[in-house]
Amino acid sequence: MGSAPRHSRDPLEFRPKMAETPPTRPAVEPDEPSLEPDAQAYLELRQLILAPEQEALERLHQRVDDPASRTEDVGSVVAEAIQLRRKQGGDEALSVALAPTIETALRESVRKDPATLADALFPVMGPAIRRSILETLRSFLESFNQILDQSLSIKGLKWRLEALRTGRSFTEVALLHSLVFRVEQVFLIHKKTGLPIGHAAASAVAMQDPSLVSGMLSAIQDFVRDSFHTPQGQGINRMNVGDLDVWIEEGPYALLACVIRGIAPRDLRDRMAEVLENVHREYSAQLDQFDGDTAPFVKVSGELSRCLELRYKEQTKPKSFAFVYTTAALLFLLVAGWLGWRAVQYARWDRLVNTLREQPGFVITSFGRQGGHFVVRGMRDPLSADPAQFVTASDVNPADGEFRWGGYYALDDGIVQQRAKSILSPPSTATLTVKSGVLLVSGAASANWVKEIQSRALLVPGIRSVELSPELNPGRLAFNQAKLQIESAVVRFPVASSALSPAERLVLRNLTGNIQSLLQAADSLHQSATLEVLGHTDSTGAEAVNLDLSQRRADRVAWELGQLGVPERVLRARGLGTTSPLRTEDNEENRQFNRSATFRVSAPVP
Amino acid sequence: MLQKKICMLGSFAVGKTSLVRRFVESIYSDVYQTTVGVKIDKKNVQVDEKEVSLVLWDIYGEDDYQRMRWTYLRGASGYLLVADGTRKTTLEKAVSLEQKVREEVGAIPFVLVINKSDLIRDWELDSALESQLAAQHWSVLRSSAKTGEGVEESFSLLARKMLG
Repeated sequence: MGSAPRHSRDPLEFRPKMAETPPTRPAVEPDEPSLEPDAQAYLELRQLILAPEQEALERLHQRVDDPASRTEDVGSVVAEAIQLRRKQGGDEALSVALAPTIETALRESVRKDPATLADALFPVMGPAIRRSILETLRSFLESFNQILDQSLSIKGLKWRLEALRTGRSFTEVALLHSLVFRVEQVFLIHKKTGLPIGHAAASAVAMQDPSLVSGMLSAIQDFVRDSFHTPQGQGINRMNVGDLDVWIEEGPYALLACVIRGIAPRDLRDRMAEVLENVHREYSAQLDQFDGDTAPFVKVSGELSRCLELRYKEQTKPKSFAFVYTTAALLFLLVAGWLGWRAVQYARWDRLVNTLREQPGFVITSFGRQGGHFVVRGMRDPLSADPAQFVTASDVNPADGEFRWGGYYALDDGIVQQRAKSILSPPSTATLTVKSGVLLVSGAASANWVKEIQSRALLVPGIRSVELSPELNPGRLAFNQAKLQIESAVVRFPVASSALSPAERLVLRNLTGNIQSLLQAADSLHQSATLEVLGHTDSTGAEAVNLDLSQRRADRVAWELGQLGVPERVLRARGLGTTSPLRTEDNEENRQFNRSATFRVSAPVP
Repeated sequence: MLQKKICMLGSFAVGKTSLVRRFVESIYSDVYQTTVGVKIDKKNVQVDEKEVSLVLWDIYGEDDYQRMRWTYLRGASGYLLVADGTRKTTLEKAVSLEQKVREEVGAIPFVLVINKSDLIRDWELDSALESQLAAQHWSVLRSSAKTGEGVEESFSLLARKMLG
């Protein structure tokens, strides 16, 4: 078997050939034994037929063994191989296989030079960051406007209380309350076809066919992109009409659109992004291969309804109880304060009423509140003090109350005294005093007034009797009056004569009435009075002569009075000569005046 | 539920909108077509006891003055190509549109609907052209928006082709 060593020498050369071309082998093998003698020729023939193939095999062998040429081979087809693999649907396995290497490579790249990756990502990150900042600012401004509207209202006050109670900032509380909104519908829309994958709606919301709405929403997205040439990956993320808002969050395969009524917080946007991420994570393959069949997405509406949940629930918060407590406490304080104030007011008025009670001329019959107003009833003497002065002196508000007075005559000594003064109008020299209803009159006054007062005073309410002080006794007054009259009389004489002219006799005659009154008054006072007649001369002539003349003049007058009925026992005649002239003799008239007689009444009583 | 996005394509005034108006659920007015460039309606059809919801994108334009928004074609599973039997140019336009669609989004199922079959006496088309297209494996149907002839069939045929 000469062919055996050749077969064994290069078995690999033939194995693939044999495997690939099994029908040729039976055709050759039956011929081999018959060609044995002509081995050389066979070898040559074999050489001729198989040489090119053997050379090719040799070259292949070399390429397989040589790492350099193998790398070259793989390198030239690696990209096509990956593409092919992806077309065959082995995407996931390929990704899994490549992921660790790519991760390591990225890490290594960042470690070596972060700038390379940063440069590469820059065009992506810039717009993303800007968009995020814009979105934040916009939602902040919306909320801020709301707060400005509310900050001065009662609601605003409520929020301040809540902020105080919970220790949060006012802005935070206000923001939270301002965001009253409702997510009415949520659409999950396949980006490529515009078909709805899932839909969720809040209860009692009027809605249109989700297929049509989804289609139109994505048509509008396309319309805006086409019309305004927005950069790749950017589209409408918000539509607003009145208080209706449509927020759109875009993922690689699907859009999430929320139809919102009211002002939604930034949180909702985060929630939408979260939901969209979850959907993409759970349904990535189904989303990629979506052909209009929503069966694989039956459970997605549960995830979508998470967007419906988010809304501020004002009524369910327990804070309402705290508010009730606070209100109750405030009310209690208000009522207590009001009652306290009433008590204070009452006490003040009570003090005032007691003060009035103690005043002369006031009688308080009742005191109390009537319709929130204090009413003091009583009687008042017209001569009592003005009640207004007590009101002013007290701490009550005059507008809070009123006085209703009836008139009466008070019997207090002070008031009665005042009343007596005003009715009896005493002269300024007289003094009136009232003590336990007795009017005491003192000082100086005319006899007539004194006489009159004794009867009139008893007509003054409150005066039971009148007491005159001694100097106002009628007998004394009459005595004094008569004395004054008598002592002012002057009887004049001619020069060096003691004869009385008829005129002088008439003076004496007139004087006797006064003398009689005097003597009567003295009698009533049980006293004895003496009437001295004093004779005077002018300064001319000798003193002895003058003294004699003055004595004669006195005697003459006394005699004349005796003739007129004046008892001699009360008369004394005394010549004074020139010792006590009535006037200074600086002219004739005054000299003549000194030729006279005068009278002096003496009585032991003062 | 199975839904499919389909488009209505064809020259100006071939009756695309009239063709569907009586047969679809609609919430949007025709104004959308001229403003946004598309109007979306819905049509449910039965294919082998399976209900398919067809979301129709009735796209405005494609004549000499109005450029069509090809973006609206993205993601469509099929389309109705509408021509007007009384105007030969509209059929030529339909042929060129089919070609454009193939370039833009690839070969997707479609049905050619030649409208205004109620005015068959005024038709400019000869049946030769129709059969020529049928030979290229085009599905060609005659319809009338006026009588309703062929409308349901067109949608059913397209749905069948998309599911097949």
